[in-house]
Amino acid sequence: MQQQTDQALITAVLDGNSAAYAELVNRHKRFVFTMALKFSKNREDAEEIAQDCFVKAYRSLGTFKNTSKFSTWLYTITYTTAMSFLRKKRIATYSIDDEENHLQLENPISSYQANDIEKKSKYVYLNLAISQLLPDDAAIITLFYQSEQSLDEIGQVLNMESNTVKVKLHRARLRLKEKLEYLLKDEVKELL
Amino acid sequence: MKTIEEQIWEYIDGELSGKEREAVAKKIADDNAYAAVYVEMLELHQLMATVELDEPSMSFTRNIMDQVNLEMAPMALKTKVDKRIIYSLTAIFLAAIVGVSWFTIAYTEFPSLSLPSFDFTMNVKQFVNPLTLQIFFFIDILLALLYLDRLYRSKKA
Repeated sequence: MQQQTDQALITAVLDGNSAAYAELVNRHKRFVFTMALKFSKNREDAEEIAQDCFVKAYRSLGTFKNTSKFSTWLYTITYTTAMSFLRKKRIATYSIDDEENHLQLENPISSYQANDIEKKSKYVYLNLAISQLLPDDAAIITLFYQSEQSLDEIGQVLNMESNTVKVKLHRARLRLKEKLEYLLKDEVKELL
Repeated sequence: MKTIEEQIWEYIDGELSGKEREAVAKKIADDNAYAAVYVEMLELHQLMATVELDEPSMSFTRNIMDQVNLEMAPMALKTKVDKRIIYSLTAIFLAAIVGVSWFTIAYTEFPSLSLPSFDFTMNVKQFVNPLTLQIFFFIDILLALLYLDRLYRSKKA
């Protein structure tokens, strides 16, 4: 069976077939949830944020003008909702540039035995490193690598110029590399 | 001046023009410092590209649809504003403007210009008879039925 486009599903929803929205949710839920998780740092809050995003998108579906991809529009809602969540919860964030915070960071794998470290998947370290980035850095990296959005589209989501996105992405990747190096110390040489 | 890392990232992301790309490729081939950074960046890039998305709970979609079903059905903006209403209002205002303009011109005395004058007094009673009343009520009932039909359809949706 040929898969309907996002636009066809939106038209169906606007024509009164609200069940078609479930298909849109299924298509985009993983990325929206992943983005929310980068901000909230725990699954329960991430689910709440992601559900809120989809309900907001449903309410505003009539205003979607089709001048961008539905995913870009949805990720914009996700980003603003997650940022609002952060402001409300006032989650303490830290920067790798902050020397004091950097020194206070506990290496979560320091107590592991060498054998345990070897057994760990490289993705665990990578996810750990991403989770320790600033939410904005984590979001920009997630958008670039996992959302199939161009730099222009990422700029639209984050409400910034594509050149700014490029610079921020560059810095975020450097921070990620530093985080990985910090987490893995010598093991990073094997990983990278 | 771009740093080595910046040049390498742009090279990996495919954002360099032909000549720039060739220049960076040459530096990677000839310069050990460039080559080392390139290997590190490429590994990280490839690793990032293989990271999988997180999966929400099994009830995620159902929870959203439960909430969505309590919401008012969304409507495209273009259907909210019926163009016929806009055209009707435009016609009414245009008729009013033309009427007022005509009345003003007709009752203004121009020394060298004579325009036809109209008698605006009319006997309303001659239009009020059983037939016109029946037509009036028929149209009212028709409009009421149309309104009820529309109301029922929107509630059903």
